[in-house]
Amino acid sequence: MILQIVKKQALILLRNRMELLLLFGLPIILITILSSALSTWMESGEIEINLKVALIEQNNEEDEINQFISEFENSGIPPEAVEKMKETASVIAPVTLIKDAFRSAEVNEMVELVRIDPSEKEAALDDDSYSAVIEIPENFTYDTLKSVMLNEQNKAEMKIYQNEEQEIGANIINQLLSVIQEQLTFGTFLAENGIDPNVTGVEDSEMPGAAAIVDTKESVSSKGYYTIGMAVMNVLFMATAIGSISFKEKTSHVFDRIVLANMSRWIYFIGVLLTGMLFALVQLMIVFGFAWIAFDVDWPSVGSFILVTLAISLAVGGLAVLLTALSYRVNSEMIISFFSSIIVTFMAVLGGSFFPIGESSSVIAFLGNLTPNGAGMSAYLALLRGDGLLDISQYIIYIFLFALVAIIIGELSFPKKGVS
Amino acid sequence: MLELMDLTKTFKHTEAVKNVNMFIEKGEIVGLLGPNGAGKSTAISMLSSLVEPTSGDVRFRNKSMIKNPQSLREVLGLVPQEIALYEDLTALENLKFFGRIYGLKGQQLQNKIEEVLDQIGLYERRKEVVKTFSGGMKRRLNIGVAMLHNPEIMIMDEPTVGIDPQSRNYILETVKRLNEEKQMTVIYTSHYMEEVEFLCDRIYIMDKGNLIASGTKDEIKQILSSENSISIKADRWNDEFIKRLQDIPTIQRMKVEEKEITIVVPKDLNMFAAVAKIADESKLELRSIDIKAPTLEDVFLHLTGRALRD
Ligand SMILES: Nc1ncnc2c1ncn2[C@@H]1O[C@H](COP(=O)(O)OP(=O)(O)O)[C@@H](O)[C@H]1O
Ligand SMILES: [Mg+2]
Repeated sequence: MILQIVKKQALILLRNRMELLLLFGLPIILITILSSALSTWMESGEIEINLKVALIEQNNEEDEINQFISEFENSGIPPEAVEKMKETASVIAPVTLIKDAFRSAEVNEMVELVRIDPSEKEAALDDDSYSAVIEIPENFTYDTLKSVMLNEQNKAEMKIYQNEEQEIGANIINQLLSVIQEQLTFGTFLAENGIDPNVTGVEDSEMPGAAAIVDTKESVSSKGYYTIGMAVMNVLFMATAIGSISFKEKTSHVFDRIVLANMSRWIYFIGVLLTGMLFALVQLMIVFGFAWIAFDVDWPSVGSFILVTLAISLAVGGLAVLLTALSYRVNSEMIISFFSSIIVTFMAVLGGSFFPIGESSSVIAFLGNLTPNGAGMSAYLALLRGDGLLDISQYIIYIFLFALVAIIIGELSFPKKGVS
Repeated sequence: MLELMDLTKTFKHTEAVKNVNMFIEKGEIVGLLGPNGAGKSTAISMLSSLVEPTSGDVRFRNKSMIKNPQSLREVLGLVPQEIALYEDLTALENLKFFGRIYGLKGQQLQNKIEEVLDQIGLYERRKEVVKTFSGGMKRRLNIGVAMLHNPEIMIMDEPTVGIDPQSRNYILETVKRLNEEKQMTVIYTSHYMEEVEFLCDRIYIMDKGNLIASGTKDEIKQILSSENSISIKADRWNDEFIKRLQDIPTIQRMKVEEKEITIVVPKDLNMFAAVAKIADESKLELRSIDIKAPTLEDVFLHLTGRALRD
């Protein structure tokens, strides 16, 4: 029985040339146009909005270096050795290194480092405009010098508070800091071996480091970005298409015939759900298949990709059945046309289909991920960047939950009795 | 076999059906007659379990169908007033889908579909999309779909609205044949007198939600036994003739058409001479004056004071 409903819905959709063109052709056209028109903009880095990072210094670098050196001088080591230590220590100066890294041209373009008085720490943590807050604890310099030069283990850690709502921003800062970390060890190695870092170009090696960060951003090409953006947007129209077809069954009184055939409403309901899901799946596969062939948008992990795609398809099925139920309930197609003309656009913009809107504000990023398309987009983007299933599990779970809620609301609002 | 008991349906602002009682016996064709908005479709929707009555009961084989209409639905074929078809699918695809949801499949479905296609005269066009059909063809398919599961009771809601006379005759003949050959019980709704007169054994007449008359054709016409309908024919009318007819107090009702005027007068009154005299004085040449056998149209006019198709 359910199969009959699905088969018939499919047949109707396939007969509808215009609808098909819109559902399958439009996203492909849009991907092509958007990705070529906007690729320069996307890849020029302009899209990487200014991240702000707060730096709180609880330590005084100079004092601690002096403290370290004077302890050395008093330990009875030969003066030449002390002299060498002094040089190395001034080169290593870890806090300066961090500041310099942030001030280098490449990083400075993306990240603004704001020095904050320790008394303002709490305020900085609450301030959402910071992607991260870095706190240099007391004795950080002293301990770091001891650790890297004397191999002592009591190393003081700098604390990094990530702003979870600005995930991408926080990730960038993290990567940047790990580059600095490497820098520090490398610098130590050079200094210990009496090589002047300025000569070997350690300063320059910051650049590949910074470039590596830019690279990870660029690894999602504009084609990849817009493939995902258009796919997750246009798949929403599948829900409205199926909703329309179903509502037409009510207005044309075909639904009366279905009821009279003693078919349970719930069979019909499930039929609509499955049709929405199945066709969303087909649509996504066609769009991504096209992008794969034409634009080389391929997925590092096909399994995860399919899981995300299934989740989105189920959410679309849920939306289809929700729209159907609501239109049956209020006996008007208004809600479906409102959804397809306004809500979809709104959700698409919010979800980042047209540009990475979420990077401009953590609130918008959060709201964007509340839309199934936005959550799907975040998951897809993460996959393209090489993230694993675990990294995107929160999105997948959310999309499944969204689908479940849509289905339940649909079930509750679908009229239990009476038709005409 | 099938009974409507004190059936009432009130929509937000309209009392569509008010305390209607009807019964339908096996094998008969029952007509439900009434102008647009009389409440026929609402009554039929309640009868076929699509609309829940505000009060009253629908009983089938002495069981209430309000809560558990399954047994009625199984034997019921409904031809809705609207074309309830998938316009984007072909005739064959429509028949297949509706056949399957009634549980038909395989060869049995195949055979039944061919039989129905023959009956509704659409075999040649079965592979064409319904959208491209004429109104008459859609109506016929609308009926065909309701016949797939061999229903014992066929409910037809104005199945001939808006179609050409040929298709209309075809449909009427088909209904008559189904009744005669398969003893199918038929409930036929219409606002065309001729159809109901041609098809039905018994008739219910509705107006403004009320059942205003019921009985066999003859019984209903008996309502008019105290009256005569007189038909006056001419090529054209003039104002004076019409005005003077209107002034005659014994004429109870009068209907003016292009070439015919019908007046209703008490039976024992001879109007011939009077009418001829008025025609002569107003210089109008008459073609004929006849006493007409009463029609259902007259009955309706009598009962409501209005023509059926205003
Ligand atoms: N779903 C509805 N909601 C509100 N009013 C309705 C509805 N269906 C019918 N009506 C009203 O009930 C009355 C009877 O309608 P209907 O049963 O369709 O008459 P008929 O079939 O004899 O033309 C009309 O006044 C119509 O406007
Ligand atoms: Mg009607």
